[in-house]
Amino acid sequence: MIRRKAAKSAAGVRPRPKRAAPRRRAELKETTRANIVRAALELFQSKGFDRTTTKAIARKARIAEGTVFNYFPTKEDIALYFFQLELDHAIAAVRGDPRLAKAPLQEKLFALVHSQLEYLGPHEKFIGSAIVPMLRPTSKLGPFSTSSQILYLRYVEFVEQLMDESLPKDQTSVTRLWAPRAFWLFYLGIVLYWLHDESEDKQDTLALLDRSLTITVRLLFGGPRR
Amino acid sequence: MGAGIAGSYIGYLLQRVFLGEDGRKSRLAATHTKAAKRMRSELQSLRGPAMKLGQTLSLHSGVLPDELLSELTALQREAPGMHPTLVRAQFKTAMGRRPDEVYASFDETPFAAASLGQVHRATLKDGTKAAVKIQYPGIREAIAADFAWFRAVSKPAQVSGHLPRVAIDELEEQIVAETDYHREAANAQMFRAGLKPLPYMSVPEIFPKLSSGRVLTMSFVEGEHLDQFLARKPSAALRDLVGERLVEIFYCQLLRLHAIHADPHWGNYLFRDNGDIGLIDFGCVKHLDREFVEDLQAFFLYPGSHDSPEYKRFLETRYQLMGRKITKGAERALIRFADDFYTRVFPPEPERIDERIDFGDAALLRRYLQASQELFKSKGILTEYIFLARAEIGLYQTLHRLRARVATSRIVRRFID
Repeated sequence: MIRRKAAKSAAGVRPRPKRAAPRRRAELKETTRANIVRAALELFQSKGFDRTTTKAIARKARIAEGTVFNYFPTKEDIALYFFQLELDHAIAAVRGDPRLAKAPLQEKLFALVHSQLEYLGPHEKFIGSAIVPMLRPTSKLGPFSTSSQILYLRYVEFVEQLMDESLPKDQTSVTRLWAPRAFWLFYLGIVLYWLHDESEDKQDTLALLDRSLTITVRLLFGGPRR
Repeated sequence: MGAGIAGSYIGYLLQRVFLGEDGRKSRLAATHTKAAKRMRSELQSLRGPAMKLGQTLSLHSGVLPDELLSELTALQREAPGMHPTLVRAQFKTAMGRRPDEVYASFDETPFAAASLGQVHRATLKDGTKAAVKIQYPGIREAIAADFAWFRAVSKPAQVSGHLPRVAIDELEEQIVAETDYHREAANAQMFRAGLKPLPYMSVPEIFPKLSSGRVLTMSFVEGEHLDQFLARKPSAALRDLVGERLVEIFYCQLLRLHAIHADPHWGNYLFRDNGDIGLIDFGCVKHLDREFVEDLQAFFLYPGSHDSPEYKRFLETRYQLMGRKITKGAERALIRFADDFYTRVFPPEPERIDERIDFGDAALLRRYLQASQELFKSKGILTEYIFLARAEIGLYQTLHRLRARVATSRIVRRFID
């Protein structure tokens, strides 16, 4: 390998700066990963999660099926990666909005869930088609798999952070343990409602989220009544 | 929630069996107050249609018990708002872009709460000052549910005849219509054109490209609410001038445009020190049939005796034209209405044309409320009248608060002759 590189230099190919090669490789890897995810999401959305094969994903991304496996061992890993991006996006949306820094907990939680739904918006059919496979005990997407637990814990930890910075310290001690976990269930409930919401522009979900958050925050976090 | 409020009435109904007349009356007042307080707090937390309903009913003085009204009136002032994040989310679903991408500046704190939405200040990219009304999410779908609940809890008022079923139907239809901002935009444009002959009047200009079914962008109308206007102790001459103009605006709408701005709560009228008046919020506009309006003209200034067979025939024909048969109760109530109120407020004799009616006189308003209540109770009321009454109550209450003296007959005749 070293010899091959040396030969290339000798043949007049411009030598690259030493540190650029790994960065370029990393960029290429990211591009390929993004291509695979884009192709997969398009297929999940048009054909449904169950009916999409890794072969079809590879064909759509114009790469070999083996290359797909280098990045994602299964299509469930692609879905998990997507949910990870969704959470990254939502956390960044809450943290990136300076106006939210001093907002009440209810508004921060609204921003979190709403950003998640916004991210999920173009992939509604995929989310709907992935629900049944998610319930299979062996599925990596299932609520008890190690991979989805990592996502779940990141979510819970972020809600804990929001809670800590928004509520008085003595109020958080008892509820700190269970409230963020219960909030995760609330979020899943909202996603289910959203999937079945046929109102114009999903207005009913927005209304439900707004109205139920008032009660949820009061019940879970003992927040003030608006 | 529904059970909670119905509960107070059931408690009262049980107690009435054991209480004497006086005790019963005071207990009923206490029950109304308790139920009203609970209703207000629940309506407020619901936000939207139920609150709109509360606001609407709070103007129906004389239709609901006073205790209920004083609590419901508070709804006109206290409305919980959407937080800025919800405002942005709702705006984006309606317009496809965020407010800061559409306007040069946008104030995320609302300056007014409309009942089915809230209003924000903004500056358009060309520098025009604007008001942006944004609807609460899911409002249309929530209305049916809220009305189902309201029909249930208002059963006592329906049974007692205080709140006829037809009134609830008409209210629901109108409130559903109010959620359509396209319709509101068309109404505002119609009023802007129709009220142009009144030079002291300003009606907002709608910007259709910056509006949708749930967002309405319009020019900002300057002026103060009645409370603020009165707080600066305007002179009697100014109060009279404003009162006269309010009557003129009202009858120009009714008799020329055949449509009335029927959401007359005081926040919708804006007053200026030079006597100019702004009118905003065109969600609740009642369009009236030509026949109804023509009959009204005769009704206001009917010259003969109201107890005469001719007048009774006139009332009968009026009902027939609307496809209804007049009941004895409605006939009696209308005759009393004409005798007790309209002949006093609109003297029919030509020689009294310049007589100024003193609306500062509380007895006048009371007469209107009593007559109106009787008409409601007669169960023979025309549905068109429900919204006319809503607008009239707003007008007379405002004139009363202004303590204005107005030559009403002269103004009305201007639109009839």
